[in-house]
Amino acid sequence: MKIGSIILSLLVLILLANLMYVVKETEQVIITQFGKPVGDPIDTPGLKFKLPLVQKVHRFDRRFLEWDGDPNELPTRDKRFIQVNTYARWRISDPLLYFQRLRDERGAQTRLDDILDGETRNAIAKFDVVEVVRSSNREAEQSNLVPEEQVNLDPIEYGREAVRLEILTNAQARTTDLGIEILDLQFKRINYVQDVQRKVYERMIAERRRIADRFRSEGQGEAMRIRGEKDRDLLEIQSEAYRQAEELKGDADARATEIYAAAYGRNAQTQDFYGFLKTLESYPAVFDKSSTLVLSTDGDFYRYLTDVDGR
Amino acid sequence: MSEDHEDGQFEIPNLKIPQFNVVAIQRASIALLIVVAVLTSFYTVGPEENGLVLRFGKYQYATDPGLHFKLPFGIERVMKVPVQRQLKDEFGFRTVKAGVRSQFASTPYLDEANILTGDLNSAVVEWVAQYRVVDPYKYLFRVRNVRETFRDINEAVMREIVGDRTVNEVLTVGRAEVAMQVQLGVQDLCDQYETGIKVEQVVLQDVNAPDEVKPSFNEVNEAEQEKAKLINQAQSEYNQVVPRARGEALQTVREAEGYALERINHARGDSARFVALYQAYAKAPEVTKRRLYLETMSQILPTVDRKVIVDGTLKSVLPLLNLDAPKGGGQ
Repeated sequence: MKIGSIILSLLVLILLANLMYVVKETEQVIITQFGKPVGDPIDTPGLKFKLPLVQKVHRFDRRFLEWDGDPNELPTRDKRFIQVNTYARWRISDPLLYFQRLRDERGAQTRLDDILDGETRNAIAKFDVVEVVRSSNREAEQSNLVPEEQVNLDPIEYGREAVRLEILTNAQARTTDLGIEILDLQFKRINYVQDVQRKVYERMIAERRRIADRFRSEGQGEAMRIRGEKDRDLLEIQSEAYRQAEELKGDADARATEIYAAAYGRNAQTQDFYGFLKTLESYPAVFDKSSTLVLSTDGDFYRYLTDVDGR
Repeated sequence: MSEDHEDGQFEIPNLKIPQFNVVAIQRASIALLIVVAVLTSFYTVGPEENGLVLRFGKYQYATDPGLHFKLPFGIERVMKVPVQRQLKDEFGFRTVKAGVRSQFASTPYLDEANILTGDLNSAVVEWVAQYRVVDPYKYLFRVRNVRETFRDINEAVMREIVGDRTVNEVLTVGRAEVAMQVQLGVQDLCDQYETGIKVEQVVLQDVNAPDEVKPSFNEVNEAEQEKAKLINQAQSEYNQVVPRARGEALQTVREAEGYALERINHARGDSARFVALYQAYAKAPEVTKRRLYLETMSQILPTVDRKVIVDGTLKSVLPLLNLDAPKGGGQ
């Protein structure tokens, strides 16, 4: 009797436990009765009741869930291979439909792989690579140091956002009958594939070289300009000094000449006297030891040598 | 065995256990219930945290730091979220060992940092996003795997912003603007995904050209230095020569000025002397003239070694004179 009552109370407990269930904040639930869905999906959290044993609880996540795309090598319209890595956020919008079509999250992820990877591939193939990379035709801020660094970007027609939205809307249309809502899709990473990457690096290197060459030749040119300026300034300074000096000297010579002329040329006597003086003054400079003087006693100096009267 | 029982010799206390004491068990279980009830009816919330109280899985209310009570036996549960703590995510590198001198690793995370720029070049961008949980409810219940979501958002937005700029902008002038735009973009998506996260700051760390290209970037820097060096050299040559030439020019001019003064002074002196001499001469011209002449002659004649004195009347002697007599010989 005692054992019977224990078993009975255990049974009651199990039934009671099976009567209640908890829906967490992160969950939504559908109830099936012998496999057949009963009632609306429950997406409010808290303690809930159901028929014990015959009804079964299926729990689904109510949160935004992640989907991470496989990094794929995709060709763009301009025949370049880029590696595109996308991610998406999605949620189970209709758990019943979701349960019927996909059963569980693994099924959902697989379908999302198909849909999103496919749509990404389609969209990428429709656009040039710049359309996926850039979002706008904004003017690049130029560093006005070197003309080589000033890039004129080719204008884009659609832009990254448009490509993204195209994938998103196409994918959204294909997931409505799966009970899934795709909230967002973004390009997480876009990169060139290895070969192309190397070529890009080569191009960048060549561009840098060009800039470096420019700097060097600018330096040389500027140095030459300065040297030229140096030579010019030198010549200018020297010739200017020469001119000033000669002018000064010329003026002085002129003044001196005037002064001399005023003194010597006053009248015939002064002129004559000047000639006499100057001649006498020049004699000591003209004669030296090696000179030979032939003097006649007719001359003024020796005339007394032969004749006391100098005749 | 039964025989042993009847003997009563082996009355081991163990054998009494199956006859459990109902009262004792009741008391024990009540005591246990009370202990469990007490233990599960309070909780503390740390100074940087908020506590979120859930009753049967349903969110009720949030509590501030301190000691709080709740319904026991798991009827109410508490989840704690560090709302005051500033959280941080690193992209393109990881802090290996934080400290005064932190160590970083970046090579394995190159994929994260390698970004295509708008001019289809590559830049390696490392950045840090600092954020806080401002809505713990959303943070806990609206998004699965918030941390991963936040990382994805960051990568996507950084690529969007960098993709709209040239590599030069990203490396130089545009850095601050990129960080700001990324912060705005990340916040946008965080709100859209209902993560409950507030982005406090996005900080660009190292922004570089890819390793393969770096040497040529350095080459540009070197060339720039070389340019400056060449210009400086030329400038210094200029400076070595030109100021000196200016000095020399001044010297020339000053010398000329000196010459001019000298010339004029000489002229004045000479003429003054001449005038004075002439005035004296004019008083007795014949005598003075003769005196001057004789003085000069007497000054010259001793310096000349060879002197031939010819009688004015005997002109025919002249051709016989030997002019080539050895020098130094006296007359």
